[in-house]
Formats: sequence, structure tokens, C-alpha cells
Amino acid sequence: MSLAVRPLARQAVEDRPEQKGRSVRVFSADISATGEPWLWALGGALALGIILIAGFLALIFWNGVTTFWPKPIEVVTLQGGTLVAGEPFRAGVYRPDAGIIAKLSSEQQAFVEENGGFAQRTLYRTANFDIYGDDFRWVSDYEVAKVDYPRDFYLFERQEWGNFVGRIKGVIIDNQPQEYVADVMARAQREARDRFNEIRSIERGDIGRINHRLEQERLSIRRAELRYGPAAPETLAATERAVARIAELNAEFTVHQKRIADIRGIDQRNRVVLEEVGGRTKETELSQIVRYYPSNAVTTPDKIGIYFSRWGEFLSSEPREANTQGGVLPAIFGTVAMTLIMVVIVAPFGVITALYLREYAKQGRLVSMVRISVNNLAGVPSIVYGVFGLGFFCYTLGITIDQLFYPERLPNPTFGTGGILWASLTLALLTVPVVIVASEEALAAVPRSMREGSLACGASKWQTIRYVVLPKALPGIMTGMILAMARGAGEVAPLMLVGVVKLAPALPIDGFAPFVHLERSFMHLGFHIFDVGFQSRNSEAGKPMVFVTTLLLLALIVLMNSSAIYVRNRLKRKYATGHF
Amino acid sequence: MDAVTEATKRRPGTEPQESIEQRRVRAFERDKGTRRSVILGEKVARGVITVGGLLVIVAVIGIMVFLVRVVFPLVTSGGVLNEANYRLDNSRDMVWVNSDEFQSLATTVGADGRAITFHIPTGREVNRTQLAFEGRTATAVGGLLTRDSVAMAFEDGTVRFIDVGFDIGTVARDAVPEGLERLDQRDELFEGRIFARVLTGDHRTIAPRYGVGEPIEVSKNPIIAIDYKRGGTVERPTIAFATVDSQNVARISQSSVRRNLMTGAETVTTTSGELPNLDLAPGAKVTGILLSGSGDRAIVATDDGMLYRFDVRSVKSPVLAERLRVFPEGVAVTSLAFLSGDQALVVGGSDGSVDVFFRIQRAGVDTADGYQLVRARSHEKQSAPIVGITEAQRDKSIATLGADGSIWYRQSTADEVLFRFNRRTDPATAAEFMVFPRSNGVLLVDKTGGVDVWAFEAPHPEITPRVLFSRVWYEGYSEPTYTWQSTAGTDLAEPKYSLVPLIFGTIKATFYAMLFAVPLSLMGAIYTSEFVHRNVRATVKPAMEMMESLPTVVLGFLAALVLAPLVEEWIGAVLLAFISIPLGLMLGAFTWQTLPARLALRLAGIPKFIFMFMAILVAGYVAYQLGPFFEDLLFYGDFKAWTAGQMGTGTPFMFLLLLPLSFMLVSYSFSRFYGHHYRMMLRGLEKTQAGWLDFARWAAFLAIACLVSLAVASFLTLIGFDPRGSVIDSYAQRNALVVGFVMAFAVVPNIYTLAEDALNSVPGHLRAGSLAAGATPWQTAMWVVLPTAASGVFAAVMIGMGRAVGETMIVVMAAGNTPIMEWNIFSGLRTLSANIAIELPEAVKDGTNYRVLFLAALTLFVMTFVINTVAELIRQRFRKRAFQL
Repeated sequence: MSLAVRPLARQAVEDRPEQKGRSVRVFSADISATGEPWLWALGGALALGIILIAGFLALIFWNGVTTFWPKPIEVVTLQGGTLVAGEPFRAGVYRPDAGIIAKLSSEQQAFVEENGGFAQRTLYRTANFDIYGDDFRWVSDYEVAKVDYPRDFYLFERQEWGNFVGRIKGVIIDNQPQEYVADVMARAQREARDRFNEIRSIERGDIGRINHRLEQERLSIRRAELRYGPAAPETLAATERAVARIAELNAEFTVHQKRIADIRGIDQRNRVVLEEVGGRTKETELSQIVRYYPSNAVTTPDKIGIYFSRWGEFLSSEPREANTQGGVLPAIFGTVAMTLIMVVIVAPFGVITALYLREYAKQGRLVSMVRISVNNLAGVPSIVYGVFGLGFFCYTLGITIDQLFYPERLPNPTFGTGGILWASLTLALLTVPVVIVASEEALAAVPRSMREGSLACGASKWQTIRYVVLPKALPGIMTGMILAMARGAGEVAPLMLVGVVKLAPALPIDGFAPFVHLERSFMHLGFHIFDVGFQSRNSEAGKPMVFVTTLLLLALIVLMNSSAIYVRNRLKRKYATGHF
Repeated sequence: MDAVTEATKRRPGTEPQESIEQRRVRAFERDKGTRRSVILGEKVARGVITVGGLLVIVAVIGIMVFLVRVVFPLVTSGGVLNEANYRLDNSRDMVWVNSDEFQSLATTVGADGRAITFHIPTGREVNRTQLAFEGRTATAVGGLLTRDSVAMAFEDGTVRFIDVGFDIGTVARDAVPEGLERLDQRDELFEGRIFARVLTGDHRTIAPRYGVGEPIEVSKNPIIAIDYKRGGTVERPTIAFATVDSQNVARISQSSVRRNLMTGAETVTTTSGELPNLDLAPGAKVTGILLSGSGDRAIVATDDGMLYRFDVRSVKSPVLAERLRVFPEGVAVTSLAFLSGDQALVVGGSDGSVDVFFRIQRAGVDTADGYQLVRARSHEKQSAPIVGITEAQRDKSIATLGADGSIWYRQSTADEVLFRFNRRTDPATAAEFMVFPRSNGVLLVDKTGGVDVWAFEAPHPEITPRVLFSRVWYEGYSEPTYTWQSTAGTDLAEPKYSLVPLIFGTIKATFYAMLFAVPLSLMGAIYTSEFVHRNVRATVKPAMEMMESLPTVVLGFLAALVLAPLVEEWIGAVLLAFISIPLGLMLGAFTWQTLPARLALRLAGIPKFIFMFMAILVAGYVAYQLGPFFEDLLFYGDFKAWTAGQMGTGTPFMFLLLLPLSFMLVSYSFSRFYGHHYRMMLRGLEKTQAGWLDFARWAAFLAIACLVSLAVASFLTLIGFDPRGSVIDSYAQRNALVVGFVMAFAVVPNIYTLAEDALNSVPGHLRAGSLAAGATPWQTAMWVVLPTAASGVFAAVMIGMGRAVGETMIVVMAAGNTPIMEWNIFSGLRTLSANIAIELPEAVKDGTNYRVLFLAALTLFVMTFVINTVAELIRQRFRKRAFQL
């Protein structure tokens, strides 16, 4: 039944003696009774809210989706003859202040005057940070003489120093300078990248393993010392064994180092000479070039290829350039791992509390207190959980664990500092109310008749819950879990205190026993946004990355929420009759 | 169910020869009791679930208890650990004492150059040396804050620099020599060195160091007071010292040491200047001289209660900057000291008073350099004349010695006496005393070699409720303030731990957020619940619920990096939008009233809602287009300069602020006096005509309201009222407007969902009854539904407020994090939560800042606990009532 389509005011006809002869429709109530202006205010508030939300989502979506699309390179000739080359980054209208206007030539002043004191300016991403010392440059429309789109300008994405915008002056292959030929360069660059990845795999795989084992050996000495005393024969024997193995490992280490040095040697012989728009040149090893393309000459299919290859890199590789470029794989991994551990912890507690409230407790003061507690847990600021997590989990529990189980690593903390386990526990505390409320709803939705049927058949209370109520309520409980995961995945403030870092050297799960390292700190998508947006050398350069990461995080959360809503709606339909 | 099947399985009736009768009998014999495992399972389940359910209460209480436990040591911790009293052999005229930072060794120097080093806890003598004083006797002593470098002045007018520091090293555990002599639990002695085992298993060694410099001739007469400071860099140290000789001539000398990098030889050049004649009152005597760290100020005290402050930036020609009476006549200034950092001057008097003076720059003071010494703190008086003041090296504590032998250890910032000791050595004997470098004890050596040691623990001396919650006069400030500045550039800066600006910031952010959020969300919720089509509601509600779990870090990022620059650039348009959007909606509403009833009815549902969208979008576009013009018109083309008070008057802003008020005033007075008449007139008209009339009325009201508002604003300006400086002040890019707006964005879904739930749970028969009685939907919503749901709606607002209070990421990113206290909507702020997020990762575990941040967390917890508990109680009551209806 919709209220809005009702007649807004009753109408009646009334004859008045002095208006005889004219049939006038007169309202029994005047139009102020419909409260039209008030209705518009109410509706306007809702509409404004919707507009803001839609605008917000559209902003993030548009910026996130278009970030990886190859943009053209504009070469702008300024009126003084200076050349500026770069990708147009964003543009806007502004009002130059009097100080700036005073410095302009009379023509430029006239130009600005004509636009009513406003000017259009474009922010160019000029890249070449190593040459210019800056990534960006504003160009106002009154200083532009000419804009070109030269086809020989390339955009290079480099492993270090960010992007480079310029021409290719020549290629040096095996120390032989050559003319630039597209195919040769492309092949050489692919090979160089393969070598780069090989070095990385040696560093990560073999050398990582050796380092891990070296650390283990050192710890074994320390452990023996702690157990037997520094001068005991057992300690000496253990030390001797460990020293022998360390020597072996060091020899192995040298071998791998040599391999890397060899590959590096080849890398150094294959270079490319780049020239920026002003004519300054820069030699770069080919292996340092992640991707390059002639911005103004690429065809649309190529652009699509570049676009998806960038997404691929974003989703599957590690960050570079102080997190402002490259990928976010460790952050995705950290977010997912933390959320999963959290849900494993939160599930039993949430369900048990819901069972207590719905099935076991007698309604009374105690239940009222439990409910107040649940709502308080839901309402306490997340940062307070962070403080509690740091003080209790890290510094109280963690330090105790260290003293009991990892004395050989002291004074370096193992569990006595932020880590993924503590972060998960903290967030579990934070999200437990979500699970409780959803599970309670789900339990309430199980029709009374089913319970009564089960009990009538002679099942005990727990058997009824275990075999009848819980299976029926499971989808609803799952909804709660998913909602809790969505809440947990987006929470950042407490994580800043209990284990999130801007760059985690090692993932919490890897190939070394015991494979799951709950004590390690980790990266997180939400914190990545904060870090790149606020703590990088140039927040402007990090902005595109922030938008993409935001889009990813939002997509993750929207996905979780929509699936929860979907499950809930199905559940509601299923038990629609049993609800009241 | 399970039990039954099990029972059947266990005793299957398998014998075929049984008759039906027999079977029936057997069936009765079957065990119908519940199996023990089932009963046990039942008990276990009940137990586990009950305990698990109550665990939630435990969690909430546990969090609170834990926070309190961490905070508690702020007020309670500390106490005297140890007291010792002994006598050193064969020592006399002890004038200086210095200790290492571990309270292991102390060196005391006699006036004749005899230096004795002893083990502090036991009094065991470790070393004894004669410094090369060449038979002269020291008449005055002055040392650095660290006490290891001392200037000694002699009767022949010369000054020598003496080094009585300690060399601290580490020895690996296998390099520790044999034959250590154990002194106490911690320390062992070997050849004049102390060995102490540290946590890693290695040993720390401490050995005394002695050195005497060349004499520098300053005066022909004996020197009676000296102070000495060291500055400059390690490569080029500068030494400044001030002396007063027996003829009351004060001198200031500056030496710079130039170290030859090739040879390592040092060349010392000294320049001296005489201070202007003190012009003392007849009979008055100089009791002390003090030099500031940078060597730019000298302070001379006299026994008739006067201080003379000299500006000695130019050594050759020092200037008497100020002459100040600090004590009434007859009360002598007996001792002088600077608190560490050399900002605050502590003055002890012969009446037992201990006062702290700051040098403050003030307009209109009659001193030579525009500064003035101001009595900032008057500490508790001791009952006997103060005979000595010594400052702690790392914080703002001082120890004061009374003539009756009482030693009070005070914290100056907190204005608190932490410990009161009494000398066991003879109070009549003059003594030299010091606070241990880690501010954990006091060591006193009297002239005859008697030693008093008090070791104590005062981990958080600077925290008292007064420091946390009321105004404190900090060093370098011209008045008492609420300030939060827990860390500063140097260690010697005074930490400022007032929670008030943070609580203020929290309230300010919450206030501005609620200012946007409450109207938007409640109005939206009423409209959704009462006026829109079910299908619209089915899309809007889940979308809003989804916005609830939107990560606030995303909002913060947008606020700071997208919205804040945009608002700054387009501030005119933003301000205009606050007017144009309501105006646009009202214009739409009054136009709508003029529609013929038939058409209005047909378009009443979704089309009308779409028109509302259009109204807002058009109004927004108008604001965007006219923004700069608006800024030109009212704010002289530059809003930021206007807010800073650089141009114009406050009229335009007050005009805008008063506009809604005057509109309300106008329409209220109209309806009060002509309302009935007007409504009767409307009833006599056709709907379209009535609509036009109402439109005209609205337009007229608006015009009148504008005039009224302008008149009042002009009048207020005329009588000198200007909003700038309070609610409006200079513009910062990251400000409360942006934070409030974006935080509202985070809170709106919360309030909206809960309020909509509450409105929706009002039973349908109430609405039906109201509508049947002839009320319009608007009247029903306003006078039937809303009052019924009021408590639920109120609870929704409370819960939203709780969320705003604790919101962290948005504030961290978009609020600028300046802990200032002003209501200015265009300035930044720092909330409790943001402060925790920023400072806790850097805070040392169990340090003062750590515990104060836990106190901030506890404050937040308690604030939200109260809000949430009240909200929940209201909600529970509402639910019960709604159920009964």
C-alpha cells in the first residue's frame, strides 16, 4: 500500500449564497494541510543523500576505472618557447590572484580579463622525476602557444624513479650502440625483464631460504645457551654444529650471489638512451623498464592490451616507487588473510552469544545487560579496540608468549608486537556484534513449529538446536559473517596500532615451516590508501593508485555486502510465513 | 529423536517366533530413559552457551578494566625505594657533587681540590684524587645542567674548568676480568671501575673521570658567585660564564674554543665585559648569578629581594634590561636556578617561597628589551628559608633545600610536591645536593662529608588532574592555556598534556557532523518510511545499509585530497549551495502547489521524486555558476581574505546566517496575526489559484525576510559586532566544514537506517486510523507516526552521535590535526581518536604519553559507553511500547 498515491486533500463543493451562479470547488482543508513545502524538504533531503552517494560512487568508479587507460602525451610550447611534455592529468578553472596577474604580459592579462578573471589550467604529469625533481607541472591556458601530439614520444614505466616521458635516442645492446628499431628493442626489453625476474626469484627463493636457515641456526645456538647455560658442553656442541652449517650456507649464498652478479653484468650491457623534451638524455638499463609505448601512436587494441596488462600488474605484483606504482598483491593477501582469520575467531563467539540470547536465556535483567553490552561493543570507537589490542594482545599476551616460547629471540619481539593474529583478534572483538545481531535474526526467523515438532518427537533442546534450528539458520548466520568480514575489511584505524605496515617484507603465509606466520605484520588495502595518499613523497603522484586501490576495496566490500543481502533476501522469502 | 533410534537398534526384536502379545510386552520393557550422553551433552551445551553469552559482558567490562589498569599508574605509581645515610672519610668543604645516571658512582669535589668517588648505595670509597688547584681554595662553584663540567672560581679572581664526569662502556661477557669484588646485588668493583650485568648478559662499566683546565684570570678580587654554560657545536664549543666578585662587580666572559683538526690542539680565546653597575641598595649583597643556556641573559639576585636581568648578547657592552622586586623588602633571594631548558627561572626566598618566573614579550612594558619577567607559578612554601635549589636534568622537576633540613622534590609544571624528605645529616651544615640524572633520586653531600641518598620512583610526575583538565601556564606562553603538545623538537621542551583541546576537538567535529547529518538523515528517513513507493524504499534502504560499511579511510581520502581543495577553490559556490538548494526545493514545492489537482495527483509518486532531484541538481548548477559572482557580491571577491578579517565588515555573513531566522520570524508573525484569515481565504479559492496565492505569499515573505535580515545584520555591525574571530575566522584548507560534511556522510546511513526502522515499526493501524479520520499523509506522519517513534528516532541520533565521536580515519586525514580550541568552522581540529591514531604508534610502552593516550581512549570509551547505553535503554523501552500498541 503506497501512501503517496492517496488523494492529497479531500475536495468538496460548497455553495455560498454570495457566490451563487458560479460553481467553485472549495477545499475543505486549505492547501497548507498537505504540507507541500515540508514534503519537498523531506524528499529533498533523501534526494540529496542519494545524489551525494551516487556522486561519490561515480567519482571513485570513474577515477579508478580510467586510471590505467593510456593517455596521450601532449607537448606544449609555452609562449616563452619552453617545452613541456606530459600526460594531461587534470584540469580546472581557477582565478589567478593579483600577484600572478601583475607578472603577466599585457596580452595575457587581456586574455584573462576576457574570461572574467578566470583561467583554465591543466596539470601535466611530466614524469622524469630524476631530471626535473618533480612529477607534475601546472600550465595555464594563457601561457600556451601551441600543443602537439608527436608520435615519437614514449611513456616508459620504470622500476625505479617513476615514469619517463621522452623520445628514444638509441639502444645499446651488448655494449654496441645501435639505431632504435622497434622489434629489436622490444625483444631486448623482454629478455631483460626475464633476467630481472630471474634475479628476483633467486633473491626471493634461494637466498630467502638461505637467510631463513641462517637465522634458524643462530637461534639454535641461542636456544642451547638458554637451556644449558653458556659454557655447557651441549651448548658448545650445538654451536659447533651450527657454525659448520652456517659456513655451508654461506658458501651456498656466495654461489647465488655470483649468479646474480653475472646476470646483472649482462643487464648493464643492455641499455637504452632516452631523451626528454628539453633535449637532456638519460641512459637506463633495459631491465629497469617495466613497460613502454608510444603514447600518441598506439592503436585502440594496443591500448586495451596495455590497460589490461596494467590491471594484471596491479593485481598480481608487489608495489614499487614507495607504493605509488606497481601492484598491491601483498595488501590484497594481507586483507584477505586477516579477514579470514578474524571470521574463524568471531564465528563461534557470535553464534554462541546469539544462541544464548535467543534459545537459552530467560528474558530479564541479565539479557538486557547482555544486549547493552552487545550494543556497546558495536558502538565503541574502533580506535579504542586498537588501543586495547595494542595494550592487551601485543604488550601483555604477546610479551608473555615471547618469554615462554621464544626466549631465544629476545629482546627482538616475536608476538610482543603488532601482527596479523593480534589484528584479527582485535577486529574479531569489533565485529562480534554484527555476527550476534545477524545470527539472532536468523534464529528468530526459524519457525516455532519446526522447533516444537522436533521437541515433540522427543529430541532434547540441544539436539533440536543442533539438527533443526542451526541448519535452518545457517544462511542467516553466514550473512552475519559476510557482513562482519565487510566491516572488518574496511577498518583501518585499529590496524594502525596492532600490526599493519606500509611495506611488509614477508607475507604471513610462505614456504618455510610452520608456513603460517601469525606473528608477522602485514599490508592492508585500507592502510595502503592512507599511506599512499598521505605519507608518500608526492601525494599527487600517488592519487591514481589510491583511486584504483579504493575501487578495489570498495568492490570487495560491495561484493560481500550484496552477497549478504542476497542471502538474507532469499532467507526472508523462504521463511516469510514463519516470521510472525 | 536420536535417542529413540539408538534404543531400537540396541534391542532389535529379531526372534521370529515371538507372538504379537510378547512383542508388545517387550516394547514396554524397552529402555525409554534418555541416554546419559544426551543428558551430558545437554548440560555441556547449556553451560558453554551460557558462559559464551555472558562473555560479551565480560569483554566490555574487561576492556574498561584493562584501560583503567593502564591509566591508573599515572596517579598512583611511584614512591620512595631506598634511603641511605653514611659518612665519607676524611673529607672537608665539599662544594660539588655529580653522579652517573645509574646511581652507581658519585664524585664529590672539595674546595681544596680533593675529589672523592664513592659507590652510592653502600658509601664505599672507590677512588680519591687531588685535583691540581695549586694550593688555592675555591670560593664559588657553578656547573652545567649535566653537572659533569664545573667552573670553579678562586679567591685570587681566577676561574678553572673541571671535569668530573664518568666514562660508561660495555664489556662483552667473556671479557670480564677475574676477581670482581661484589658491592651489592647489581654492582661489582674492579680497579676503580664498577661492573654491572645488563639484560643481554654483557657488563656495563662505569669509571670516574677527572680533569682540570688552565686558570683564566677574571678579576683581581675574590669571586663570590659564578655560573657557567656551554653552547655551540661539538667542533666549536662556546663557553660563557658570569662572575660576581667581592666588590659586587659582575662580569660576563665568553670563551670560544677552536680545535685544530690537524694537531688536535685547542686554542681558547676569552672576551670579557663588565656588567653595568648594579647600584645596589646600601647594605644589600649579591647572593647569586645565573646565566642562560644560549649565554644571552644573566640574572643577578640580591639579599633584599631584587633581581637584575641583563641582556648580554653583546659581551663587550651588556645592558641592564630589567630590575624587578620579586620578594618584599627584607626577604632575600637565596637561590636561583633555571628549570632544564633554561626557559623558566626558579627563585627561592628566605621566607621559604619557591616561585617560577618566565621571560615574556609584552607590549608596553618599560624594560630595555621589551621582555618582562613574570611570576608564573608560586609553588608551595617551605617552612624554613630556602638555601638551595637544584634542577632535574631531564624534566621540569626541582629539589629545594630548606634551612631546617627539609628537602622537597617538586614537579614544577604540575605544581606539586612529590616527595618531602628530611636530612639525617646535620641541617646546620651547608650542603651540596643534586637530583640524579634520571630524576629518580636525590643525593646530598654536606661540607663535612655526610651523605644522604634518597632513591625514589616517580614515573609520571607531570600528570595530575589539574594538568590534564585545567589551564596551565607553560614555559614561553604569555598566559595559562589548555595545550596538547606531548612531544617537541627537543628533549628539554616542556611536555603539555591537556586533554581539553582534544575533547573540544571531538565535540566540535561531532557537532558539525551532526549539524549536517541529523536533518539530512531524519528527513530522508521520514520520507522513505511514509511517502515513497515500496519499490523505491526496497532499493534505497539496502543501498544505505551498504553505505554503513563503507570504509571511512575512503571517505577521509576523498575529503582531504579531493573535497578540501575543491571547497577551498569554490568556497563561494559551496556557501551559495547552502542557500540555493533549500530555495530551489521551496520554489519547486510552491510551483507544485499551483498544479491542477488532477495533474498533481497523477504525478504524485515517482515523478514528483524525480522533480525533487531536478530541483536539487538545478540549484547546485546555479550555485556553481553564480558562486564567483556571489563571492564578489558579498565577500569582496576573496572569501579567505574576508574571513581573516582583512577587509569588509561582518554584515554579509550575518545576513546569510540571519536569513532563515528572519524568514521564520516573518512567517510566524504572519500566521500568528493573519493565519486564520489567510487560511479561510485559501479555502475560498480554487486549488490552482490558492497555489498561486501561496506562492506569492512565500515570495513576499522571502523579500521581507531579506530586508529584515539585512537590517538586523547592519545594525549588529553598527554596534560593533563581528562574527569573525569566533564562529568564522581565518580559513584553513583542512577544516571543520569539510570534516563535518564528510563525517556526516559516514554517520547518515547509520542514523537513517535506525530511524527508518523505528518509523517503520509504528503499527499500520495507527496510520490507517489517522488517515480515516481525515488527516493528510503529512499530518499523519507529523502528528501520529513521528511522536510514536520519537524515542526510537532519538536513539538512532544518539547512536549516530556515538559513531561520530569515535570516528578516526576521516579526522586523521581531513582535519589538519591542529589541537586548537576555537569554534571557527574554517579551522582544523584534533580529536581524541585522531590523536591516539597519530601518537600511539610512536609512544614508548608504559611511558607517560602511552598512559595519557590510554586515558584518551578510556575517555572515548566512557563517552560512547554512556551514549550507547542511554540509546539502548531508550530503544528497549521504545520496542516494548511499540509492541504494546
